[in-house]
Amino acid sequence: MVPTNPKFKQVFVLSTAMLSFISFWKAASIVLCDFGSSAYYAGGIAMNAFGPAFPWFIMGVMLFSGLMLGVYTESCLMFTRGGVYVVVRAAIGKVMAKLSVSALIFDYTLTGPISSVTAGLYLGGLLSNVLPLMHINWHVPDRAFAVMFALLVTGYFWRENIRGVEESADNNLKIISFVAVVAVILISWAGVTIYHRGFTLPPFEPVFTEKALGWTTHFPWLKAVGVIGLIMAFGHSILALSGLETLAQVYREIEDPKAENLKKTVITIFIFSIMFTGLLTFLSALIIPGDLIAGKYADNLLSGLALELDGPYWSRLGMQVLVVLSGTLMLVGAVNTSFVGSNGVLNRVADDGILHDWFRHLHTKFGTTHRIINLVAITQIMIILISRGDIFLLGEAYSFGVLWSLTFDTLSMIILRFKRRDEEREWMFPFNIRSGNIYVPIGMVAILMVLLAATGMNMLTKKVATIGGVLFTMTFFTIFHISEKMNEKKAQLYMPDEDNDEKMNLRKADDISTVVPELTKARRVLVPVRNPNNLVHLAEVLETADDDTTDIIVLSAKIAKGIQSGGETMSDEDKEVFSAVVLLAEKYGKTVKPIFVFSNDPFFSMAQVAQAAGVDEIVMGVSGSTGAEIQLEKLAMAWGMAKKPDAPAKTVLAKVVWEGRQMTYQLS
Amino acid sequence: MIKQSDGVSLSALIKPETVVFLEGNLSKEEAVRRLTEAILPQVERIINRAALFERVAQVEKLNQVLESGFYIPHAKFPELDGFHAVLGVMPEGFTDPATGLKVRAALLLLSPHKPTFFQRHLNMLSLLSQTFQPELIEKLAALRDPAAAAALLKGK
Repeated sequence: MVPTNPKFKQVFVLSTAMLSFISFWKAASIVLCDFGSSAYYAGGIAMNAFGPAFPWFIMGVMLFSGLMLGVYTESCLMFTRGGVYVVVRAAIGKVMAKLSVSALIFDYTLTGPISSVTAGLYLGGLLSNVLPLMHINWHVPDRAFAVMFALLVTGYFWRENIRGVEESADNNLKIISFVAVVAVILISWAGVTIYHRGFTLPPFEPVFTEKALGWTTHFPWLKAVGVIGLIMAFGHSILALSGLETLAQVYREIEDPKAENLKKTVITIFIFSIMFTGLLTFLSALIIPGDLIAGKYADNLLSGLALELDGPYWSRLGMQVLVVLSGTLMLVGAVNTSFVGSNGVLNRVADDGILHDWFRHLHTKFGTTHRIINLVAITQIMIILISRGDIFLLGEAYSFGVLWSLTFDTLSMIILRFKRRDEEREWMFPFNIRSGNIYVPIGMVAILMVLLAATGMNMLTKKVATIGGVLFTMTFFTIFHISEKMNEKKAQLYMPDEDNDEKMNLRKADDISTVVPELTKARRVLVPVRNPNNLVHLAEVLETADDDTTDIIVLSAKIAKGIQSGGETMSDEDKEVFSAVVLLAEKYGKTVKPIFVFSNDPFFSMAQVAQAAGVDEIVMGVSGSTGAEIQLEKLAMAWGMAKKPDAPAKTVLAKVVWEGRQMTYQLS
Repeated sequence: MIKQSDGVSLSALIKPETVVFLEGNLSKEEAVRRLTEAILPQVERIINRAALFERVAQVEKLNQVLESGFYIPHAKFPELDGFHAVLGVMPEGFTDPATGLKVRAALLLLSPHKPTFFQRHLNMLSLLSQTFQPELIEKLAALRDPAAAAALLKGK
């Protein structure tokens, strides 16, 4: 009898969802759905805190956002999978990283309630104008309506996130495009209105309400005038900066050329923010009478701008419809971002062992981290109910997380200039003095001074933010600390985790041929990998391949002796290889198709995958134990053995690559 | 598989005089030793006996039995200008200790160790592994005559 030798025991394919990369337009739109949404509430909240001078400060904060975007650009280029936690951990250590990420979670958690309540207030405001025209005399108090709407939206996105529906960059781009069109109409119309009516610039001097002074009233020397007044007002406006962290989270998804696209993303965000949040807030102050800004339009400022323009009522109402529609879409998108962001950040810290695995338990049906999502949803619902639709209360609390995370991030980037002085940076925040091999970051130090001043002042002026923020931050810090201790104990008594297989987003395929239809590009390169510390060959492929025309298949073959079917699982070491592959792909912003196979012979699996996929090139890293020649000999033999007699003639280039050298061979 | 321009084909390499039947129970080392003995007349004017045995024994450790149950111990020598081979057919065969695979056919291949020849060397390995599939090995093992074995490979 002729023995048959099945060559694959199992084929695992790593989900490619996380490895598809996006254009700078889409990256900018994801950030803007969070960052830009503050345009709908920041002005009203600032007006409520320190009066008619608010547009100057909102515009100032938007200009400041350009500087913060610069800091984030430098940090993103240093850490592909960055964000506050990673940057602070690298610079200051794990304790401060836990503290900073706790503040960040506060920011992300509040993004949901503030956005959904604002959307509810805008909708409520519109309905109170539209319903009477339709002879419907229902009257629901605006805030009650906003709370109900916010709960509905939160419930909806809780369900969507439990079901694991991915945040779509395409949808974000559509929303931002629509918002941009509405903004252009609004700005143009406001320009015409101002041209006809003339204008008076708002006063520059902030006039604080008693509430906005917080505990500073207990310090007679701390007068809300001069520079101190400016810092106070800046602190009350800083919530408009919320959402910058999303840039760090989205950077890993930006396509090649990564650095160039990051810069384009940042410039797009900055221009949009100045025009949208800054300019529209300013125009609102020029057009809407002061008493209406503080009263009727306090919690739906841009609706007020639409309704106070020149023109017949129906057209202004139409404009309000567009404003509310665009605002609702953007704000509701921000609610989803808050779920995705919190979940993402908490998963990231869990990877680092500071969140107990209990939180990462996967939903049996949908495979999502449902306990984290539930925790976020419950917290958001509680915040919405406690706020009772008071956007000013939410706004006051909101700036705590924003400021602390920005402060920690900037401080860390300054420290890293000294700590990682030899690391080459693709871009540096400007205004540096070179001293030896250190670029002393004068510019970033100036930014840190501003942030520290605003943070310190906010601690005194914002009672709710300080009490709520400190309590929330300390709660999360304690959870992280206890989790870390528990995980340390667990590591000492290590037991294999049954859930491990699925946390990598793996799916099993019956045969390699089921994966082939997923390869759609004209050219295909197979890159076998084995050692996570030897991926020079993959880096070379990622550096040179054209992502638009080339499918890069990354193959990891695990030797499994003997042939039994099923039951094989990936070990932590195997997953480490894929983690390194994913990180490298993210660094270059190029899509890869990672495949993991159990095989009797890794060279045979290479040949079989290459032939099944019809690759044009096989690029191997050099093996330290055998050397390039023997690798090629083994591949040649496997190639012949796997070749089917009726296979079409095709020449495939096989390469072994190592530092500065390569050996090539044509397989035919 | 192998290009005409490369000037190498199996039928040119495997002739009745380069096929040996190795009877009885053998070990892997014994099989390789006997194949080396068999190839010696082809190359003894170029490579001395000791060097040949030493080199083959050395590379044999790196060579691996293929999943098909075919074994290609191969070595490269700078002194050579062309391929030399001997095909061993083993009706009883041996069990490869590393893989547990039953081996009933093995081909000792000696190639020139020259950069310009490497592509052809690899092509030859590829052609051999493509040709010696389990069905062919079964047929070879059932034969007892080198001429018949060489005839089976004619045109490959």
